[in-house]
Amino acid sequence: MLEYFDVFISGLTNGSVYALMAVGLTLVYGVSRAFNFAYGSFFSLGGYIAWVFMMFLGLRGGYIMVFILSIPLLMGFGYFTEKLIVAPLRKRSDWEVKVMMITLGLALFMDNGYQVIFGPRMKSLPPMMEGAMAVGDTFIANQDIMIFVLSITGILAFRWVLNNTRIGMAVRAVAQNPAGAQIVGIPKDRIFAATFGISTVMVGAGGILLAQKYFVSPMGGWDILVKSWVITAFGGMGSIRGGLYAAFILGMLEAFVGYWFGLNWVLFALFGVLLTTLAIRPQGLMGKWG
Amino acid sequence: MKKTRIFFLALAVLLTLAGNGFSAEPIKVGVPLAMTGPYTDTGDNYWKGIKMALDEINADGGLLGKQLEPVRFDTQEFAPERVMQGADYLCGKEKVDSVHAGWAGWGQDVRAYGKHTAPFFADDGSQSAVDVFTQNREKYANIFQLTDTDINQATSMFNVLMALPYEYPNKTVVIINADDAWGMGVGDTLEDNFKKKGWKVAMHEVVPYGTREWGPILTQIRKAKPAIIHLEIVSAQEVITFFRQFMKAPTDSILSYGYSIVPREVVQTMGTEADGLIGEVPTAMPTPTAPTPEAQAWVDRFTKQWGHQPQAGSWAAYSGVKAWAAAVVAVGDEKDHAAVCNHIATKGYKGETGWWKWDDDHVMRGGGDVPFGHYQVQGGELVTIFTDPPATPYKDFKFIKPRWIK
Amino acid sequence: MNWKRMSATIALIFGAMAFTPLFVGGADHLMHILIMCLIWAVVASCWDLIMGFAGIFSFGQVAFFVIGAYASAIFSIRFGIDPVFAMPMAGMVSAALGVLVGLPCLRLKGAYVALVTFAVHMILEPFLKSGMGRAMGTGGSRGILTIPPMELFGITFSADNKIAVFYAALVLAVVCSVIIMLVIRSFWGTAFLAIKDSEDFASSLGVSAFKYKLAVFALTSFLTGLAGGFYGHYVGMLSTRMLGIDLFVMLMIMLVIGGIGQFPGAILGAIMTVAINESLAPLGSYRPLILGAMVVVLVLLLPDGIIGLLRKFAPGKTEGGQTVAVESGIQ
Repeated sequence: MLEYFDVFISGLTNGSVYALMAVGLTLVYGVSRAFNFAYGSFFSLGGYIAWVFMMFLGLRGGYIMVFILSIPLLMGFGYFTEKLIVAPLRKRSDWEVKVMMITLGLALFMDNGYQVIFGPRMKSLPPMMEGAMAVGDTFIANQDIMIFVLSITGILAFRWVLNNTRIGMAVRAVAQNPAGAQIVGIPKDRIFAATFGISTVMVGAGGILLAQKYFVSPMGGWDILVKSWVITAFGGMGSIRGGLYAAFILGMLEAFVGYWFGLNWVLFALFGVLLTTLAIRPQGLMGKWG
Repeated sequence: MKKTRIFFLALAVLLTLAGNGFSAEPIKVGVPLAMTGPYTDTGDNYWKGIKMALDEINADGGLLGKQLEPVRFDTQEFAPERVMQGADYLCGKEKVDSVHAGWAGWGQDVRAYGKHTAPFFADDGSQSAVDVFTQNREKYANIFQLTDTDINQATSMFNVLMALPYEYPNKTVVIINADDAWGMGVGDTLEDNFKKKGWKVAMHEVVPYGTREWGPILTQIRKAKPAIIHLEIVSAQEVITFFRQFMKAPTDSILSYGYSIVPREVVQTMGTEADGLIGEVPTAMPTPTAPTPEAQAWVDRFTKQWGHQPQAGSWAAYSGVKAWAAAVVAVGDEKDHAAVCNHIATKGYKGETGWWKWDDDHVMRGGGDVPFGHYQVQGGELVTIFTDPPATPYKDFKFIKPRWIK
Repeated sequence: MNWKRMSATIALIFGAMAFTPLFVGGADHLMHILIMCLIWAVVASCWDLIMGFAGIFSFGQVAFFVIGAYASAIFSIRFGIDPVFAMPMAGMVSAALGVLVGLPCLRLKGAYVALVTFAVHMILEPFLKSGMGRAMGTGGSRGILTIPPMELFGITFSADNKIAVFYAALVLAVVCSVIIMLVIRSFWGTAFLAIKDSEDFASSLGVSAFKYKLAVFALTSFLTGLAGGFYGHYVGMLSTRMLGIDLFVMLMIMLVIGGIGQFPGAILGAIMTVAINESLAPLGSYRPLILGAMVVVLVLLLPDGIIGLLRKFAPGKTEGGQTVAVESGIQ
């Protein structure tokens, strides 16, 4: 019985970070139909920015400082990336494919850029909190608790922005009806760029949170891209709530399948569940479009 | 008209100058290594050893009076056609007179470079590479392996584990390895060895690279309480995350990391936190004290040139270059590849620790003056505690019971 | 692009290539590169067909290539089947799997299809290394190290005999290109474009998206698998290393340079990409960096790849931007 608790905590912690990142991906896709193949590289970007601030420049202030400094950086990076390389493609034929291709090129550039600048070896960051909390006969690492809390906070903050701010409402308007939104005077293009920026912040934050536990490396992002992708597809692209449910379900699935069958079966299980779901509901759990 | 004449004059002068720039044609040496992609790290280790050897020979007047010129090739991810392309480029086009590689393709390299005649040195540590070699000894006579096979290395790890001055509380072992050829080779060999000695293999997990969440596995470990846990994943992230998550609630187990101890970050990132871990390096340069004064001098020179202690593979690759150079000097002609290969195969090479003798399979078997090195992390450093075969404590260094074992 | 232009371009490209052994036949290293150009040209063309013409975001091309390679190797090693037959059989295996993968994709859109097909790619590597894979003869993580080469008319098409292999590859590439061209020019091609532009409207006209989509999966997987088998018998060894992200990106670059839906741009794209990749090789770690930057720049500047660029200088009979339906027409 106790072991299931361990596994459950595993699934919960990971699920929360996956949720944070999946929401970012589904946001961009839901609003602008752009698929960011460089999502994994953006994830690593968060980690590397944190490393530069904390370890290379040795700035004080711990992780609070890191978050305060990196959020605007990530936002700006995402915003300008969208403006420079995604927006120009919108008018072209096959633009969805072209966006995938250009972001793939970007991913290649960024990942190898990391390798050239930071070297191929992994970089480590100090843990957010040391120690563990005793729960009966077992322990939960404080680090994991922090990660969980911060991810959930991030998601709630995001939801608040979406529902209670003008920019949030503009985003929702554009997602529902781009043409209509434009007619009402919402600057559609700027919203597209802003959403891209927000998703960068979310995945970058996920990168910072996980970097202290799992380290940063140039090729570390691909895993994250695939997982976020699977989760968003499973939950329904464009549906934030769907993404949340999917993240936790898949986080749990990962933990339990890993425990019962072995870690090598996790990929099979994830894709198996995804495919079965898509066969029954092609739009995912809560996808808004067919 | 005048302009053309001046042009040709200038050209002639230029060519003459260029011709006189070097007294003799340099000897080209092929160096196919992973320069990009997931194996860049190890590629870098091998390069440092090779470059050091080349620089030393050149500074000493060159080989047979000629300077050595490395020709690099990026093997990237060792896709089959990439390995083949390397051989075609280095041996076919550039006509190099020897090839020095580290990990080179685990069997694919034997096929690719065996088609040519230039002496080829690899650090595959792979039984399948040896199997390919034995299929056609004459054709592949130019292939030399710098380290023993995965099977023999695993057996050595087992022998030393059994030889430790430590009493095991039970005979249960957990084996975790990556799903690559190396991991599988070691994992399977260890399982066989343990079973033969009457141990119980409570769990043998095969995990993909990229695994950083060990919750489910550790839960099972805490249930089984094994006396030994062996981890064989040659990548820092996986083994460090495992260790840290293990330490949340450690069991009384010896943590045997095999070759996974090798990536530099393992010890660098954890420092004294890693104290207690055991690992193995084939064709090893024991640290912190080298076995002979020449070897110590080598370590000092390496550290001076590169700014850090030598990593696994650097000394092996260095020795490969030196062994070839010595053979060329003995034969007197770098282009007589067959004679050079024959010399290496029959006479061997006298290195910093003693004699290197390749066996009939052209493999540098662990033993003699080039044993496997078994290390324990002590005080944040890799300290050699045993060499094998035969399993012998190394100098005065002792095995220290890890702090997490009650 | 109309029939005449397409076949003329294809003839020109392959005709020019046919003469290259005269100049570089002695350089094993360069011959190998040329052979790989031809093999990738087939794969890139298939990818172009399914993505550019049929509008299906399939990301499984590399997976089918590897499946074909392994299947052909296993057939010839385990069952002693002559490589000449093993290769098309491997193509059939790939085609069957292609249809199997295509079935769930039929109801999905865009990024979903990409995900499902990419899933095949992601699952393939652990499968090949698994117990089941090894039982089938994949050699697990070690790969397969001894694959018999194709032997025909007394010639052994192995890596020792690159000129022969080159011409065999040329034949393969020409045949595949012709097949693809015929498909594009035929009613199928028109149907694809109709489906791609507006599926509902096409359905209302009686064009069965279902049938055509499955057919395109089957065809492209067959040809790609065939090319994979050819690769295996030529290089003589296989490993799961081919499933790394490197190859996938390379193929994508071929389409970017060649232009999506601009057949035979993919062929030119393949040749140019391989050439560029090779010439950048001395730059070591900077190579993939430059490639990535190139992709970004090219997608922005050359929306229709090289073919699009060339077309600007030599416009065809119809004005730019017309659909093929108008050109091929029912007239």
